[in-house]
Amino acid sequence: MEGFDSEQDPQRRSNVSQLANLRVLIADDHFLIRQFVRNTLKESKIENVQTAADGSEAIDLVQKSKLAGQPYDIVFLDWNMPTISGLEVLSYFRAKPEYADTAFVMLTAESEQQNIMKAIKAGATSYIVKPVSPADLGKKLFEINEWLKRKRQVSGGIFG
Amino acid sequence: MSNVQKQLSLDDTLARDIITAVLRSMRETFNIEVTTAPPEYGDGMVSLVGDISGIIGLVQQQLEGTMILCMTNETVRDILPQVIGKSVPVTHEMAVDAVGELTNMIFGQVKNDLNQRDYQIKLGIPCVVTGRGHFVCQFHRGRYMIVPFNLDGRLFQVYVATHEARTESDSNKQ
Repeated sequence: MEGFDSEQDPQRRSNVSQLANLRVLIADDHFLIRQFVRNTLKESKIENVQTAADGSEAIDLVQKSKLAGQPYDIVFLDWNMPTISGLEVLSYFRAKPEYADTAFVMLTAESEQQNIMKAIKAGATSYIVKPVSPADLGKKLFEINEWLKRKRQVSGGIFG
Repeated sequence: MSNVQKQLSLDDTLARDIITAVLRSMRETFNIEVTTAPPEYGDGMVSLVGDISGIIGLVQQQLEGTMILCMTNETVRDILPQVIGKSVPVTHEMAVDAVGELTNMIFGQVKNDLNQRDYQIKLGIPCVVTGRGHFVCQFHRGRYMIVPFNLDGRLFQVYVATHEARTESDSNKQ
């Protein structure tokens, strides 16, 4: 699969090395998308990746990882999932201040403008409409990483 | 956006929306290029034959219809290794999952493109039907459109059929 090329450009190589430490959860009921995103993250050297097949599993994993002292940095959420929707997962965690510096990213085929606005209002860090190419998803990762850095500088976090 | 709803018709404009959505989904998800042929139009019922079909209903204020992505096992087995890797055997569950997600992505894009042009389409819940050489028949009273696609000699198709929704007075006449 064609990813985005980080080998040639020193700046991009440095950015990719920053991404490598990120912990990511992919919540999507479709195996195809979980695997697609995992492949793209691997292109960015992100290996610390877990997956959830529905909303309740996503909530469980996010809470457990926080309790274990290894919280996720980025949580990708599909909109339509069994048990609990991605939007509900997003709203659930955005109501808890301790998850304010976790990036919750909607990755969904739901492309109605009103739904995009609903997710942004609920606190989505970013909104990505499927299908998305590995190159575009890779670019989004850099934007999300910048958001994480800003958030954690404000709260005196890990990026310093 | 104006409030005047346009009536959906099965024509080359809709075919272009479908082709754009299919080509983009295949390229971005699987890094695969497919080609297409001119759409075919007709009236009344027609049966599709496939192995895995993703089906989704559509409604507009005075229109009802169905959109179907109909593929063969061989086509799905050709495209899936681009994501899961060539050494992983493609299972039935993976194939169903992939066609379900493709159905979501393709018809979600078509809906979005149409609604940006004031068609105000709503989609139902997608479902996937499997079975070697199954028939898909739509019981409708209107027109249909078939858009064929070709992936290195393997064919698959998107099928759309619509008809005018029956009103309450229509139902009372029966």
